[in-house]
Amino acid sequence: MTTLLSLHSQPDVPLEADTISPDAITGLSELGIEHLQVLHGNIKARVGDFFKVTGKGVSDICLEGDLSKVKMIGASMSVGSITVEGNVGMHVGIGMSGGQILVKGDASDWVGPEMTGGRIIVKGNAGHMVGSAFRGQAVGITGGEIFIHGDAKNEIGNSMRRGLIVIGGDAGDFTGVNMRAGTIIVMGKMGIRTGAGMIRGTVACFEDAPMLPSFEYSCKYQPLFLRLYLIRLQKNGFENKIEDRHLNGKYRRFSGDGIELNRGEILLYLR
Amino acid sequence: MPEPNQPSPKEKNKNIKIVKDATCTFCGCVCDDMELTVDLDEHRITKAKRACVLGRAWFYEHTLEDRPVVLIDGKEATLEEGMDVAAQILVDAKFPITYGLSDCTCEAQRIAVDIMDTINGNIDTTTSVCHGPSGMAFQGVGESTATLGEIRNRADLVIYWGGNPAESHPRHFTRYAVTPKGMYIPNGKKDRTVVLVDVRKTPSTPVADIFVRVKPGKDFEVLWALRALVKGKRISNDIEEQTGVSREMLDDLVYRMKNCQYGILFLGMGLTMTRGRHFNSGAIYSLAADLNEYTHFVAKPVRGHGNVTGADNVVSWQTGYPFGVNFNRGFPRFNPGEFTTSDLLARGETDAAMIIASDPASNFSKKAIEHLAKIPVITMDAKETHTTKLSKVRFAVATYGINTGGTVYRMDDIPISLRPAFDSPFPTDQEILEGIRQRIRKLLTGSKARTAF
Repeated sequence: MTTLLSLHSQPDVPLEADTISPDAITGLSELGIEHLQVLHGNIKARVGDFFKVTGKGVSDICLEGDLSKVKMIGASMSVGSITVEGNVGMHVGIGMSGGQILVKGDASDWVGPEMTGGRIIVKGNAGHMVGSAFRGQAVGITGGEIFIHGDAKNEIGNSMRRGLIVIGGDAGDFTGVNMRAGTIIVMGKMGIRTGAGMIRGTVACFEDAPMLPSFEYSCKYQPLFLRLYLIRLQKNGFENKIEDRHLNGKYRRFSGDGIELNRGEILLYLR
Repeated sequence: MPEPNQPSPKEKNKNIKIVKDATCTFCGCVCDDMELTVDLDEHRITKAKRACVLGRAWFYEHTLEDRPVVLIDGKEATLEEGMDVAAQILVDAKFPITYGLSDCTCEAQRIAVDIMDTINGNIDTTTSVCHGPSGMAFQGVGESTATLGEIRNRADLVIYWGGNPAESHPRHFTRYAVTPKGMYIPNGKKDRTVVLVDVRKTPSTPVADIFVRVKPGKDFEVLWALRALVKGKRISNDIEEQTGVSREMLDDLVYRMKNCQYGILFLGMGLTMTRGRHFNSGAIYSLAADLNEYTHFVAKPVRGHGNVTGADNVVSWQTGYPFGVNFNRGFPRFNPGEFTTSDLLARGETDAAMIIASDPASNFSKKAIEHLAKIPVITMDAKETHTTKLSKVRFAVATYGINTGGTVYRMDDIPISLRPAFDSPFPTDQEILEGIRQRIRKLLTGSKARTAF
């Protein structure tokens, strides 16, 4: 059983809907959900002003309509699931600690900023700053998984510390910039300046990528952990992207960033 | 013997005024040693002693135009009506934005911030399209900084990176950083080493002792290599192939940087507005910070507009953040990319705009300009611009520094007072903004429930 929220009026300006999360709606009646507060620009509004609610509040939510102007869906959620049938706006899953968000369309910038647990799946493309820290913060995501099946733009996993980010398509510039720890796997091409300022952590990519001068080639080898990760990802929707050669082939390892601790690694699949 | 600075006999019959120590507000240098000769009958400046080519154009070409003070939907109206309509537009809007502010006084800027705070709007300045990335980098990695006076008196290694001051800030070399003699630089340029880093030769190049030519879009890689070398780390062998700068050149630069008495890295928009943006600025700030293990080194952005530094200072002082600040929730939030004007307009997320002393319609993306044309826009500008033409309410204002006094900030965050040359029949931005603020407060009393979280 799910709670269905379908968008009946498109917001004129961004709608900050941080109340649309399983934690906030579970146990509420339809009327109760419609009365939850959202922020339409600078005006306080109600969920019911924009969404038609069907079913009482349970921990599984389904959202219908073009939500590209709706921000902060699934904010701070810890349990349950949210399924977005179309596109979604900025900050989806901001600070989430558990549960799952599935976006069937595209997501805007800042997917899962500063999340600590749970999983976000975006079937389409994502914007900039997937799984990153907010400006001025030292640490980004500290746990959880973000799976983007399409492309993502710049600064994926900015300052992340633990967690897994997987990009099925191409990545922009500065993937894993200032990374503290954690893993980023890119199955398409990466832009320039990958891993700038990274301290620890792993960025793996199926394609070749330009390296910064402060990264040093270490060796070529078959990282066992990566094979285990990829086998698990094959079972989680990436079966078309991961071939046997990626599982069994060798990877070139670059260590860096030399300016920092030099404990990070970039693994590039060796054709 | 006639006293210096007195008008010549030919000019004696005219109504002439001399303004000493006037300030030029054209660029971020904010030179405050101008001597203006003003013809009060013709309302124009006839001589601007010590002004550079840009400053002379700024002073000489300023005359009082015959324009209506207020136009609403293209029809002439009174100032009161204009302020009434502007206040109503801002109060009715769900996502009002203010943009610009770099060419008006700090006194006007602080009222603009207060208005956006009162109506829970969004405030952004032209910083977001020039040195905004430097502001973000500053927040991320910190800043080793100094005033231009300190640089003039102490710096023996001056590095310009991604800028062309000879054309953009003509007096920067002569007044602050290259030729002037200072307390510890008794022989001026002879005691200094000047390095220019750019992607091509510019009119600034002849000033430099060393010119470093970087492949376009490779500044970050060069800065990163310099950081690694300063820290004694290895760098890859293909550095010349990657960046166009040889290993020998990098080693020489590192030697000079580590062994100077006082070094300065000036960063221009060649860094902040090319691929990498805030990371480019961050790399240069980090390089300056790294070098402080060996000597004293500072980094400073070379700011463009007259009072864009003031805009940063005023917005920071009032909200805690320099630009791209949103008050929708009743408290300030900062997120460049989300709350910066060019992005907001391009995504079509605003429903009213107040543009002060800036012309986004001439330099924003097509999508952003199209959205700007759809929403009610209030403009305040001394001149006709593309933006004033598409605005609903347009105020013609007096020019700061020439017609109005006030405070502006030089690019090194030093406040400087203005000495106006002659009066203008037009009101100041400050007066109009104050009028709008009073009206907004009246309109908001007891009406629409605003958010307070």
